[in-house]
Amino acid sequence: MTTRPIPVPPKGAEVKWHLSPPYSARHLLWLVLIVALLLVTGQRTDMDRMVAMTTQAVGNLIGVADDSQVVRGLSRVGTAMWPPVIGEVEEVNRMGDLDRDRLPLFSYIEVQERVEQRMNLETLQLEATTEQVEVLVKPLGYVWTVFVKMIETLEIALWGTLLSVVLSIPLAYFAARNYSANRFTYTAARGFISLLRSVPELIVALFLVLAYGFGPIAGVLALGLHAAGFLGKFYAEDIENADKKPQEALEAIGAGKIKTLWYGVLPQVLPQYIAYTAYIMDRNLRMATVVGLVGAGGIGQELKGRFDMFQYGHVMTILIAIFVFVFLLDQLQARIRARLI
Amino acid sequence: MIRFESLNKVWPDGTHAIRDVSLEVPRGQFCVILGPSGAGKSTLLRAVNGLMQPSSGRVVIDGTELSVKTQSALRRRVAMVHQHFNLTNRMSVAANVLAGLLPTVSTMRAMSGWFRPEHRQKACELLAQVGLSPAHLKRRAGDLSGGQQQRVGIARAFMLDPEVVLADEPVASLDPKISSDILSLIRDAARERNATVLCSLHQVELAREFGDRIVGMRDGQVVFDGSPEAFTDECVESLYHGAVWDDAQPEEDDADSSVDLSTTNVSLI
Ligand SMILES: Nc1ncnc2c1ncn2[C@@H]1O[C@H](COP(=O)(O)OP(=O)(O)OP(=O)(O)O)[C@@H](O)[C@H]1O
Ligand SMILES: [Mg+2]
Repeated sequence: MTTRPIPVPPKGAEVKWHLSPPYSARHLLWLVLIVALLLVTGQRTDMDRMVAMTTQAVGNLIGVADDSQVVRGLSRVGTAMWPPVIGEVEEVNRMGDLDRDRLPLFSYIEVQERVEQRMNLETLQLEATTEQVEVLVKPLGYVWTVFVKMIETLEIALWGTLLSVVLSIPLAYFAARNYSANRFTYTAARGFISLLRSVPELIVALFLVLAYGFGPIAGVLALGLHAAGFLGKFYAEDIENADKKPQEALEAIGAGKIKTLWYGVLPQVLPQYIAYTAYIMDRNLRMATVVGLVGAGGIGQELKGRFDMFQYGHVMTILIAIFVFVFLLDQLQARIRARLI
Repeated sequence: MIRFESLNKVWPDGTHAIRDVSLEVPRGQFCVILGPSGAGKSTLLRAVNGLMQPSSGRVVIDGTELSVKTQSALRRRVAMVHQHFNLTNRMSVAANVLAGLLPTVSTMRAMSGWFRPEHRQKACELLAQVGLSPAHLKRRAGDLSGGQQQRVGIARAFMLDPEVVLADEPVASLDPKISSDILSLIRDAARERNATVLCSLHQVELAREFGDRIVGMRDGQVVFDGSPEAFTDECVESLYHGAVWDDAQPEEDDADSSVDLSTTNVSLI
């Protein structure tokens, strides 16, 4: 029988270890390289001009510099955007089927005078003519429109998240090394997940709008597909890293893969899964406001439309709405978190 | 009956964990396996349910050889009690015990958790038998004490009325009183079903108290095989002497280290 004692140096023997200092010339070389790289890329991305223009703008604001392109641009946009549009006015005779006894909430009919410049065909001169136009005034009309679009945005985010969860569960199963059927399914699932993750939502949405037309379908699919890649990866990694002990116990009695996953893994990873899904929901809510820019429904589509028609007052209302929306979501999230902890 | 036929295990890293082990454990026997750390006790136990594939040799259970084909059927008849309990910590005690039935219930039933009333009843009875109360049913397994967790582990192991129970250091992390209780539970539940128990231990006293038979292993070989009475203090000495962790032994014992295992070895084979 052979047994090996733990090797310990004999007493008095010289210990030939040494501990080198934490930094060396190599580190310095790396530092120089990194700084050089930053300088080159900074130049290529106009970081020098950014600093110059921003300094000028700050100078202009505190009264040191006389002119600043940045401040001029901003103030031009600012004036155009103020005040935000709240109400809506529509000409009654352009609305086909207005039931005068049942007007929409808070709205009323008003007669407005419109002054229009018309060309007098005889004198060939412009003449101002006054016209009496009957209009329907909705004092909160545009706010309501934006609100409805915000709800649509919320729904896009919700369905996008739901879709991503449903897609990512089978993906995660095949992308978990210790559960995937074989190397091929593992590689295929991992590859597909990478593919989904590699294309940003906005670009996916761009193509899906071509396929499904304008509207929320493209938005939901774009958010769902991208997030499925994210969730698939993280769900799978949690399965791989889960405590092996309960799994071994179930494997030892021959429980089978699916049942082992359900009883030995899922209870362990569930809190993490919920956290990932909540993160995806949060991210989707923000992204849902953006995918509309390419026509995939929600508030973004409204924003893009108004922006393209130079209706900056409307744009302002939308921006305020998005801000309030995100702010409320953060509050809600903080509240939920406080309750869970 | 479990029969090991010249079993060998060489791990990929070259460790020869089991060297030509041949053993026969009759039905209903409580067989304790003793030996220093790294002797190959766990490896041997795991050969019985195929968690470890032997390099050569066979394991035969009641006439059926363990192979890829027979493995899943055999695993249902072989239960295991683990050193670290191996419960799903975030799941309730009841669900952990019911998980012992998983090989025999359909996937739909397992996923929905809708077990038959008689199965739920059985889980309750087993939990009562191992000394837990109805108040524990809904508790999270991970919140229980070690002793209680091992009781749950035993209840889970007996859900399918196994013919063989493998217990790999079931009491290694428990206090002496509870250790003794736990081993009694395993012994009694096994006796009731005439199940064979293969139990590895590090406590010689417990081995003598509970074992019908003691198998001493060292460096992958069976160096003692006999009744608890035959397992004298001398045998203990020679079984553990010189192990890497054992530096309390004075040098001069070296001469005795070759204590004739051959004379004390009471072979049952
Ligand atoms: N998965 C593995 N890969 C490589 N070597 C292993 C593996 N499992 C065990 N071994 C080696 O096989 C030998 C026997 O290990 P085993 O776990 O069976 O010992 P043991 O008697 O159960 O020890 P302990 O009393 O500490 O549990 C050891 O040398 C160990 O390092
Ligand atoms: Mg062991």
